[in-house]
Amino acid sequence: MNTTTLTPEKTEIYWDVVTDMLSQAITGELVGMSNFATLTGTIDDVHEKMECAEHANCERGHAEGFIHLAKKYKLPVNINMDGYYWKNVRECFLRWANKPDFIGCIIIQEVILECFAVSMYKDVGNALEDHEIGQLFLCISKEEEEHIEHSIDILQAELDKDYAGFIQKVEDIHNDCMTILAEWSATVDLKGHCGVCRGECMKNSLYAAGMDIKSLRGNAINLYLKTLDRIGIPGTKSLQWIANLPM
Amino acid sequence: MDSESSNVAFALIGHQDSWQKISGFVNLLRNTSQEAEIEKQKIAEVYSYFPPCAIFDIDVRSITGITAKGKYIETFISPDELTLKHWKNNISKVKQAADCASNLQAGIATLGGFTSIVLEGRVDMLNGNSKTCFTTGNTLTAAFIVKAIEKACKHFNKELKDQNILIIGSTGDIGSACVKYFSAKVNTLLLCARQQNLLYQQQKELLENNISAKESADVTTLLPEADIIIAIASSIIENFDPALCKKDVIICDAGYPKNLIDNLSEDLNERLFCGGMGIVNGGYDFTPSFHHQLYNFPIPNIGHGCLLEAVVLSFENKNIAYSTGKGNISPEKIEQMYDMAQKHGIREAPFFNTLRVWD
Repeated sequence: MNTTTLTPEKTEIYWDVVTDMLSQAITGELVGMSNFATLTGTIDDVHEKMECAEHANCERGHAEGFIHLAKKYKLPVNINMDGYYWKNVRECFLRWANKPDFIGCIIIQEVILECFAVSMYKDVGNALEDHEIGQLFLCISKEEEEHIEHSIDILQAELDKDYAGFIQKVEDIHNDCMTILAEWSATVDLKGHCGVCRGECMKNSLYAAGMDIKSLRGNAINLYLKTLDRIGIPGTKSLQWIANLPM
Repeated sequence: MDSESSNVAFALIGHQDSWQKISGFVNLLRNTSQEAEIEKQKIAEVYSYFPPCAIFDIDVRSITGITAKGKYIETFISPDELTLKHWKNNISKVKQAADCASNLQAGIATLGGFTSIVLEGRVDMLNGNSKTCFTTGNTLTAAFIVKAIEKACKHFNKELKDQNILIIGSTGDIGSACVKYFSAKVNTLLLCARQQNLLYQQQKELLENNISAKESADVTTLLPEADIIIAIASSIIENFDPALCKKDVIICDAGYPKNLIDNLSEDLNERLFCGGMGIVNGGYDFTPSFHHQLYNFPIPNIGHGCLLEAVVLSFENKNIAYSTGKGNISPEKIEQMYDMAQKHGIREAPFFNTLRVWD
């Protein structure tokens, strides 16, 4: 069967969107790298410690991959870990790491942040799939899935140990961290400019690359809810948490 | 996955038919003041991205004294997406909801409203290796429709044998069940559906058996002759013109979403009822109690026939695919299902519509 793929015209706006996407991805990967690096200091188990270091290195590799392609195509990316949302995500992680709360950190990094990464990279990759940059997004999305998988067994065991206590912890972390990502991915910037995109918010320009913020956010929430379900969080709970997020 | 999975006798898979219900439900979940309620547009941006999941528990009581415990699984199919354009996504959601029922190890699961239409009754696509049996629930819906029509005839002093019954959606699973049930009981069957070839075939078979029948894909040509109308189409009937109806017509709107109900004048509303609905005389409870948001009717203990079929089968310990798809509902199966339901105090609902109860 012959099919015709509608490829968005690669206008200046298109490349601006791609550049902003890379900026967000690189910054997010560096936050992830920092989080895993922090995590190595919070755990006693040497095998988990080594695995965290490996994950940190993996995130570093992802950031390098995106930086490499940005240089190759002369895209002026803006890497800013002090941008409003990413800085808040990092600070949120540090609050749980300083407790120290290994499980809390795993929920933030390997469930919340990785669900957003896996889903959004996949959507961006599919939208740009005729380009090397799109292929890299798809490839990294696949690799990030492993981080989610890594967390499932650990978190299921925690749920079995203390059902009510664990659900309360996930709810607290959800309120702490998902609120930031909900503000970041809302159809309008609820807390002002992110500090990573160049110029105006890219959300209004996503159409130029065949994307829209509602789908990007919706698919990320979908994966997050499915992951919570796999861990064993009741649907009534997780739905209530999502319904109470800023929209 | 679910600590209570072994207690799940039945699962009801469904979807919402209005944004009003969904807004009420989401804002209830928000548990905030009225000022902080989010508007429909914001909810619509995220609603259809929610993955199917069980959202409340249901306890249904039989008049025999037994209670069946079940769960309601919401597919999160948006009311705006009940169309062919979204078929692929809707099938995926129904399959995910079916997986959810299987993971809960429900003995029997039923497909409410549009979810059975999506699969064209192919419940065999759903159970894989799970112990959960799936039924479309259409036999009990059909039973409630035909029994309510018989009751309505008595109510309005009409002899069923003298009536012309128009069935809109006559080639569908429930529509064809109604055709079979009434084929030897009424004056003329007036058949209406979108697929002309199926319609023609249906009329041909009836005529071969000396049953008076007329067919048309255009409902306006049949409306003037109809004494009774059963609307069971899979979508809203756009060209339904109430001015063409007889003054004393009886209308059973059994679609989900409703085919006609928002479309009628005050005088016709006195002769229109929501069809395919049952009443559970033993009562039921939802936990958490989402009654007022998702399942609010003018009479207590009302339920859709398609959902109640799973409850009846559960009461009867018959975890079987009772209703399996298009064309398999016989008058005998309707009577058998209706008898089982009555045994547990479940029967056709009193006549009601959005404006009044008129039983």
